[in-house]
Amino acid sequence: MQTTFTDDQLKDPGIQRANDILRACVHCGFCTATCPTYQVLGDELDSPRGRIYQIKDMLENERVPDAKTVMHIDRCLSCLACMTTCPSGVHYMHLVDHAREYIENTYKRPFTDRALRWILAQILPYPMRFRWALIGAKIGRPFRFLMPDARLKAMLDMAPRSIPPVSRNDDPQSFAPVVTKKMRVALMTGCAQKALNTDINDATIRLLTRLGCEVVVAEGAGCCGALTHHMGKAKESHATAAKNIAAWCAEMDGAGLDGIVINTSGCGTTVKDYGHMFRNDPLAEDASRVSGLAMDVSEVLMKLDLPEGDAKHTVVAYHAACSLQHGQQIKTFPKELLKKAGFTVVEPADSHLCCGSAGTYNLMQPEISGQLKARKVRTLEAKNPDIIAAGNIGCMMQIGSATDVPIVHTVELLDWATGGPQPRALTEPGKKVPEIPILR
Amino acid sequence: MEMPAPNPEVLAKKARVVAQLQDVLPRSAVIFEESETRAYECDALTAYRCPPLAAVLPSSTQEVAAVLKVCHAEGVPVVPRGAGTSLAGGAMPTADSVILGVARMTEVLEADYANRTIRVQTGRTNLSVSGAVEEEGFFYAPDPSSQLACAIAGNIAMNSGGAHCLKYGVTTNNLMGVTMVTMEGEIVEIGGAYLDASGLDLLGVICGSEGQLGVVTEATLRILHKPEGARPVLMGFDSNEVAGECVSDIIKSGILPVAIEFMDRPCIRATEAFAGAGYPDCEALLIVEVEGSEEEIAAQLERILAIARTHNPVELRESRSADESARIWLGRKSAFGAMGQINDYMCLDGTIPVSQLPYVLRRIGELSKEYGLDVGNVFHAGDGNMHPLILFDANKPGDLEKCEAFGADILRLCVEVGGCLTGEHGVGIEKRDLMVDQYAPADLDIQMAVKDVFDPKWLLNPAKVFPLASSETRRMAVA
Amino acid sequence: MMRPKSEAELADMVAGATAALRIQGGGTRDIGAPVAGAVLSTGGLSGVSLYEPGALTLVAGAGTPVAEIEATLASEKQRLAFEPMDHRGLLGGDGVSTIGGVVAANVSGPRRIQVGACRDSLLGVRFVDGAGRALKNGGRVMKNVTGYDLVKLMAGSWGTLGVLSEVSLKVQAMPEAVGCVLVHGLSEVDAVSAMSAALGSPYDVSGAAHAPVGADGHPVTMIRIEGLEASVAYRAAKLTDVLSSFGGEVSVERDPDRVAAGWTWVRDVAVMHNTVGDVWRFSVKPSEASGVVANLRAAQPDLVVLYDWGGGLVWVKMPEGVDARQVDFHGHATLVRGSEATRKSLAVFQPEPAPLAALSNGLRAQFDPRGILNPGLMG
Repeated sequence: MQTTFTDDQLKDPGIQRANDILRACVHCGFCTATCPTYQVLGDELDSPRGRIYQIKDMLENERVPDAKTVMHIDRCLSCLACMTTCPSGVHYMHLVDHAREYIENTYKRPFTDRALRWILAQILPYPMRFRWALIGAKIGRPFRFLMPDARLKAMLDMAPRSIPPVSRNDDPQSFAPVVTKKMRVALMTGCAQKALNTDINDATIRLLTRLGCEVVVAEGAGCCGALTHHMGKAKESHATAAKNIAAWCAEMDGAGLDGIVINTSGCGTTVKDYGHMFRNDPLAEDASRVSGLAMDVSEVLMKLDLPEGDAKHTVVAYHAACSLQHGQQIKTFPKELLKKAGFTVVEPADSHLCCGSAGTYNLMQPEISGQLKARKVRTLEAKNPDIIAAGNIGCMMQIGSATDVPIVHTVELLDWATGGPQPRALTEPGKKVPEIPILR
Repeated sequence: MEMPAPNPEVLAKKARVVAQLQDVLPRSAVIFEESETRAYECDALTAYRCPPLAAVLPSSTQEVAAVLKVCHAEGVPVVPRGAGTSLAGGAMPTADSVILGVARMTEVLEADYANRTIRVQTGRTNLSVSGAVEEEGFFYAPDPSSQLACAIAGNIAMNSGGAHCLKYGVTTNNLMGVTMVTMEGEIVEIGGAYLDASGLDLLGVICGSEGQLGVVTEATLRILHKPEGARPVLMGFDSNEVAGECVSDIIKSGILPVAIEFMDRPCIRATEAFAGAGYPDCEALLIVEVEGSEEEIAAQLERILAIARTHNPVELRESRSADESARIWLGRKSAFGAMGQINDYMCLDGTIPVSQLPYVLRRIGELSKEYGLDVGNVFHAGDGNMHPLILFDANKPGDLEKCEAFGADILRLCVEVGGCLTGEHGVGIEKRDLMVDQYAPADLDIQMAVKDVFDPKWLLNPAKVFPLASSETRRMAVA
Repeated sequence: MMRPKSEAELADMVAGATAALRIQGGGTRDIGAPVAGAVLSTGGLSGVSLYEPGALTLVAGAGTPVAEIEATLASEKQRLAFEPMDHRGLLGGDGVSTIGGVVAANVSGPRRIQVGACRDSLLGVRFVDGAGRALKNGGRVMKNVTGYDLVKLMAGSWGTLGVLSEVSLKVQAMPEAVGCVLVHGLSEVDAVSAMSAALGSPYDVSGAAHAPVGADGHPVTMIRIEGLEASVAYRAAKLTDVLSSFGGEVSVERDPDRVAAGWTWVRDVAVMHNTVGDVWRFSVKPSEASGVVANLRAAQPDLVVLYDWGGGLVWVKMPEGVDARQVDFHGHATLVRGSEATRKSLAVFQPEPAPLAALSNGLRAQFDPRGILNPGLMG
């Protein structure tokens, strides 16, 4: 596509990058077909192609965006289905991230918007604050009818019924492999995930050590920065990301690392992008070392020797998290692993479509998110699964809130199949108890 | 590209028109602010752009009728739009027009397997029509390259083809009936789940009329049972001539492949660099696909390979698995994307008699040197539908104009050898002014007479298909 | 009778006409409301002007005899895909059927369900409109969306929009082998279901017909397949499986002459040759076909019926002068054979709903402003 940036504008590395991306786009419109918001809203402005056009217009003219433009960009889930679809290799993620930062710097949002976004940025990345907020939300839920804003209601609704106690496994330490050591990996324990669900990290540690990994929880690592990054709050996201880079580089330069394992795919996409985020920063080299070692837990497991399990006649519907299938282009590994462990794996129709969770999206855009959730649950339930498995806590919360089919993290099933405990979600009150297969 | 001056009266009453549209549609269905209408200023042809007065997104035939009644009464031109994937600028607006998008109309209304038809709202994408009947083993045959995203509405407007139309025909051969709204806002039913017209074949003339006769909101389409299997074979040749002869011999042999695709060297190289499909480095490459049971496929491929061998191919690669088939198709399917990596491109669509292939490719090569612009050829060889992709730099002043002139020369060449300007993309805005090279004034006049009947005020999809000079008296008469 | 020898002469004759003209090819299809006027025959515009077997295309003057075209194609082992019906047996008469007549009447045969009608094989036309202008639309290439598709409009317009002077057609290679799966003794309801199953299979059926009274006096359902020898054998076996669940005895005919004869019998509606009575042609939704016939039979027990196109086409012979459109159905009915009096009193072509009739009349007024081309033929 033609662009009209001046030479002066192109001196800015951010604009330079945006220009390269825009020049690759041929405006063919293929991306509209797989964009969840376009499916729901049917408006060019709420499609990747339309957003690219709005971003182009905004950046070229150095225009302060109006409320409508911001609305259409805000409605983007960053699910990146468009990048999977794009025949021309347009890097939409970098473009929309740049646009979000531009909006954050130039556009003054209405007060309630700013307040909400500030609160989320102050709470979600911090597990302790988030835990208290969840407890508060649980207490506050009976008063939801008093809430003036659908988004506040959504926040109350999102809080789980039970909030797990802190897991000491998430503290900095090292777990020795159970069998001969094959590799040494750092586990990213995350932020929101460990406040909402401590089973995932526990299962990951058990599974990896059982398969020959030394698992390190690095001192100083925390939130990956994705939540604030997607709000355009570059300063905050870079600050948390920098801490991680420092923490993991220390491990790399110390006892050495063969991988940085991430079991929340939303975080994985961001950590793998550190190299780009810090490309014009003194941390550039370290950041790309970190990105180079970052792996989704399913990628690590493919390198290890997961034992083959007997057929269990348990039907697992695999929900592909967007950050995994589109952001990291990992499409087959989780299914292959589940099959290898003996599960019968099915997939919903339109598996490329987002469930509407998308970080804070379900909180900020409850209406669209709700429609996507209903659609996803409908297509999943149509496959009559015993269990739903996913590789991202956000999706698990989103889908879990609307179905009585139990939903678990892929690693919990793999851990269970290789000798770990039965996932807690399978016996959770209010969920259908699947017929429990005989496991080793 | 010359466009008629927008009607100042219409521009002046924008607020009134928008208010009336808001009366008949939900709020979110009327788009009129300047920052928003810009995204509707073009489709997949970005060389020509103009933001519309407004854009509307109705959800039902009734809403479409209501919109058209408003626009008809106010004398506002209407540009129908499917998914906006036209490479001919078929959905490009004028400043005084309302874009009428059917993207919100995506329902499957009825799938009737006993009668092998499906009825859909026309905003539904081509591929998702097949998707809706896939579990029962059926599919909708026309498969334009943009089938993932393009809407049935646009397919009908442009009479879209695809790689597999050698066997299954194009849209018009698979379209049985439509619900159409006239510019006056009247809803008419034409055809249905039965064959042929009772009187004049109005459906036949509506299909391919580029949205200038009415807005098609629902369609009854023929669906077919999927073949048991399909397998391609890849052939490399050391000259375009030989590849062309091979195509002709296969067709003459009596075997009907479902697709015969052709790529020339520049395109093969670009594709290899981008997608790495493992294509041989040769002058010309054919992908020939046949369908049927395993035995049937084997029998057909045996014949085809025997024919190919008589032309001394540099490579013959028969697919033996789904993976290998996907790899053979991978390069072809990434061809446009691959060319787009090199530079901006303009995709042409002329059709020529198959026997003229070698000559036309040679001439295109010569013209490429004269203009100093590279061109790659990838196309449906079985039916002579070429897709030369001319590379240019949209950010370099003068390059687009040079590219346009080059493209026009290629299309005139297609007409000269007995072919036509466009095989499946439509005339749109892009080839409008070349119509005089294919048709005499009277030939155009009789086509415009058809529009006089359906849209006497000439409000639907203005400034497309017919050269402005040819349509001037008609447009002036109603202005 | 006017019989121009060139398109220019044709144009002069039309331009110079001062009264209605009856447009004819070979005069073998006297269908439609009777037209009073001087006969204008296109028989003189004869001859194949271009034939490229490697591109599957043929261009011929409108007056070229169909037999000549078929012979030309046969010399290259090719044929007209849409298998045009020969109306002479049904209507009587011994004229020479022309390709222009086939196009003007959009005639097709049993293969309609697989490859489409004449209009689907028609690539281009040259014609003279009512003002005497020589015009063209389409061309001679298989894919062409340049401008409006008047080619389709001209096909089946029965000379009411213009006088065809030249047509170009997509042709098809003759298959190496043919076969016909026969199911004996099915009821009409079961036969339609059986044909639907065959057409809904992946076996690429090229004909599906049912005669409640076959050539031997018994019900027979016929499913045709064409292609490479191995393919026909394979699909015949598969279709035998598909069709054996409908209750009738299933057999396979592989003798090419017998298969061809059987399908010519269907194509030309031989069961109604040399009979008395009106012949109606119903185009319906296939699943409604046997119901339409049952409703007709309730009022008129002595019908002769032939189903083609898997039930989508139903030929019905009725007593003279009875309006067959009194039953409810989705589709259209044409009175193909009837006395002049009946063709005047009952609409030969299905009357169109008002908005469509307005569009059709508008088109006729544009193409033939003086109303001199087969006026009133289509109603």
